[in-house]
Amino acid sequence: MEQILANGVYLGAQYAMIALGLTLIFALMNVLNFAHGQMYVLGGFVTYTFYGQMGWPFVVALAMSCITLAILGALVERFLFAPVIKRSTRDESTMLLAAAIAFFLDAVVLLVFGEKQRGVPKIVDGVFNYDFRLIMPYDRILICGLAILSIVTFILFMQYSKTGRALRALAQDRTAAQLMGVNVDRYSMVGFALGAMLAGLVGGLLVTITGVNLGMGGPTSIKAFMMVMIGGAGVISGAIAGGVILGFMEAIGLAVLSQYGDITYLLIFVSLMIFLAIRPQGLMGKPWG
Amino acid sequence: MMGLSSKQLMAVGVFLVALFVIVPAVIATTGRVDFYYTLTSVALLAIASSGVWLTFYIGRINIGQGAFALIGAYVSAILVTKAGMSFWVSLPLAGLFAALVAVLIGLPILRLRGVYFAMITLVLTQVVTLTALALPITNGAKGITSIPLPSALSIFGLTIIPDFATLQNPRLAFYFTACTLMVLTFAAMYRLVNSRLGHLCRSMQQNEELASSIGVNISYIRVVVFAISSFVGGIGGAVFGSIAQSVYPSSFQVADSVNFMLNCFLGGLGYVFGPMLGTLVLYFGWDLLFEFGKYQMLIYSSVLIILMLFLPNGLLSLRISKRGGNSK
Amino acid sequence: MKRRTLVKASVAAVVAASMQISTAWAENPVLKIGFVGVTSGPAAAWGISNQRSMEARAAWLNEIGGYTIGGTTYDIEIVSFDDQKDPKRAIAGMEKMAQEGIHYVVGPNVDDGAAAVRPVAEANGIMYFPYAFPKELYTAPASNAILGMVANYQSGPAIYKYLMEEKGVKTAAFIAANESDPLSQRDGGVAAATALGIEVVSDSVTYQVDTTDFTPVLTPIMRTRPDLLVLSGVSPANAPQLIRSARELGFQGVISTETAQDASVLREGAGDLANGFISVGGASTPELASDAMREFVERYTTMFGEYNDESNTKVYALEYILETLKANPAALTDVDAFQTTMDTFEAPNPYMVGDAKLRYVGMSSFGQKRQVSVPLVVNVYQDGAFETLFVAQVD
Repeated sequence: MEQILANGVYLGAQYAMIALGLTLIFALMNVLNFAHGQMYVLGGFVTYTFYGQMGWPFVVALAMSCITLAILGALVERFLFAPVIKRSTRDESTMLLAAAIAFFLDAVVLLVFGEKQRGVPKIVDGVFNYDFRLIMPYDRILICGLAILSIVTFILFMQYSKTGRALRALAQDRTAAQLMGVNVDRYSMVGFALGAMLAGLVGGLLVTITGVNLGMGGPTSIKAFMMVMIGGAGVISGAIAGGVILGFMEAIGLAVLSQYGDITYLLIFVSLMIFLAIRPQGLMGKPWG
Repeated sequence: MMGLSSKQLMAVGVFLVALFVIVPAVIATTGRVDFYYTLTSVALLAIASSGVWLTFYIGRINIGQGAFALIGAYVSAILVTKAGMSFWVSLPLAGLFAALVAVLIGLPILRLRGVYFAMITLVLTQVVTLTALALPITNGAKGITSIPLPSALSIFGLTIIPDFATLQNPRLAFYFTACTLMVLTFAAMYRLVNSRLGHLCRSMQQNEELASSIGVNISYIRVVVFAISSFVGGIGGAVFGSIAQSVYPSSFQVADSVNFMLNCFLGGLGYVFGPMLGTLVLYFGWDLLFEFGKYQMLIYSSVLIILMLFLPNGLLSLRISKRGGNSK
Repeated sequence: MKRRTLVKASVAAVVAASMQISTAWAENPVLKIGFVGVTSGPAAAWGISNQRSMEARAAWLNEIGGYTIGGTTYDIEIVSFDDQKDPKRAIAGMEKMAQEGIHYVVGPNVDDGAAAVRPVAEANGIMYFPYAFPKELYTAPASNAILGMVANYQSGPAIYKYLMEEKGVKTAAFIAANESDPLSQRDGGVAAATALGIEVVSDSVTYQVDTTDFTPVLTPIMRTRPDLLVLSGVSPANAPQLIRSARELGFQGVISTETAQDASVLREGAGDLANGFISVGGASTPELASDAMREFVERYTTMFGEYNDESNTKVYALEYILETLKANPAALTDVDAFQTTMDTFEAPNPYMVGDAKLRYVGMSSFGQKRQVSVPLVVNVYQDGAFETLFVAQVD
């Protein structure tokens, strides 16, 4: 039981972080960023290069991941999403752009970093073992702690900083925000950069545990979509709730249903569908019009 | 017949001649017989994509067509291998079964909108794949293999379609089958869009509440449209299973569902024939870039991004004349 | 207007570039060998190690003047098609190979692709070398597929038997990804282990291929306390994570798999925790590798920057094609001649020391010779490299 809870907390924290960036971008621009998982993978590879290959301190490598992805996010918003959104008749058209960017990042990662699974040396050695009832390696505990810390920092930032307030205003009502004097173009770019940066940060954090390979992008995006849906699209607290819920569903489902192996995920997906059918806007989202 | 102008009729005629005479003739003279399969794929994927396009037409983003294509492929494969049924009989049954599933699933989930509907259909694709892995009738992970080629179809002793296994060139036969199905599908789509149902769909796309308030039974229309969409998805999947002579849980997966949707975006959501053009460009484009080796994906995605930047409303928004939507 | 010309220009550029015919480098006639497999996306590692092995070997042969078959010296050209692990694309790839007049193709890498290309290959006279294990691909009436490696139902029993006798393994647990290939391999492994008298304590746990944390997946298995944990059909990307999670959960027994792995991936992903991990490979270990193998590894590394240990197995398919063609030049255009030759073909194995032979096997598994005889080298990972545990042969 303790083990299941611990697994759930760890999974939930990492999932919530992945979902945060996605939901932020969605809230601001109504863009379902199919390339989110690829951004996460890129973040992982940047940390791998600086920490694993060049031997820089982990924290510096992590910062490099954040910076790289923030710049990438800003450029992508400024030169790709912004012009397309302005000129397309239907918002959904950006999905094709997002998917094309996902393909593009996949291709770049394959050419630059190769096809192999990559990993970095452990940041902390040792395993916490409480009477074999609760086993958790120290590096997992550390990463889990860092993830929770980042989430809290992010919430505080959104709540109290000027940028955060502007972003929230933008997410709530674009036109109203503009009328109130918010520089919509600038803050859209900042928001996208922030979302991409979160993807890079979680990629950099998780490379120490799971390693990274170019195949992780697509499935990560899809998982992130599911968390966002559980919590409610475009709602930050919803993304966190969705991540934690999916984390616990996996941890509990895998433990309870292990003898039925093949159908654990089937049940998770089916229950997700039933949940959404009953509550179409997720836990905290607003009904979509 | 569908209220087409003489100009439009001519365009349709030209298109049909191109499809059934000129393309095979060109392939025969150039010897590029591998294009038969490529074009057959394009036709089949375009059929499935047209279903996705139809759900767009009622304002729903459908990322679940892969699920229905897989259902269709399995139903046809099971009927042919286990019940010994003719492929030609199993084909409509595959579509109908997919439509039935769509009705059952659609009733609860069609109330969802926007990204929520998109996501639930995406999850549906995974559910169907996992179900195929778990069920005994689908033969689980081992898939269904060695499916016989379509047998002869005769009505009143008259052979309409010969046995594919006896043919010199089954590729050509599959090409004609796929093109015929594609023409029928798109004719039906065109008819549908220009019918009363089509007008109702358009009003729903604009505003469901408003449509509902003027007495449109929107939940009925939604389910009907979703069932039609899934029917064509099932048809497309079934033919693919027959060409590959095998079906696996991974025959259609999330990537396929996403591609069906992208085909519609690329062609243009506002045009009935958008999915056809979108599929042609997306699928054929990948094939054409084959020579670039390891840079294939890089160039492919770059071209897509550039296309999106200049034509965010789809390829067909670039129309030379107003009725260009009819030509391929 | 401007946008229209731009679009047109870019389309024209793409078309023009795709028209470019791949240039041959010498005046020798060119012999094309195909590859259809996955070289992009999540499973790219499988296909890329195939493709690069072929390209490295072809470049090597061309550098030394080409390859002589029936008195004519050919330059070898590898034509690769990326099927994106999609069976529908794999068919297109095989059609493309037929179009190019290619009769010998390596790939596809997975079960569904291998099954899907069968009609095309048989209709067009193409022999293909899949890396997929379903027996119906190789047993009659199927005629054109040749298994390019050792199947898990062949290596599994050998490994389990060794572990029973040498390590006293009595119980085993199996874990597989929830996908066709791994699940089929798991079922085959469970059957083999049971037949040998090993008690299978857990065989139902599966994981999604996109799993990032294997601790919850492995926790229930650890409760059954098996002596042996088999990672059925594990992809090189997942192997280090599974090993790491199992060890961190306190697992003390043996971990093994029946697929080829890469030592550097294991070292980076699991470090010392991977010590003792048993996998199957080609003739790469220092005791077995011939000078030719060492040169191959060197050339591969120079060409692509980094070697992949999976290529120890994947180097063989091209060698088999060329050697068989040399044994019977009529097979260049006639796969029936190739099939006849397969029954009697034998040539020295250039990559292994000693008098190992290249020959076709598979009588006991498939009832016909539809498998290349690759030395079944069972490796154990130790401190960043593989060491040979034992060598066996498949018949």
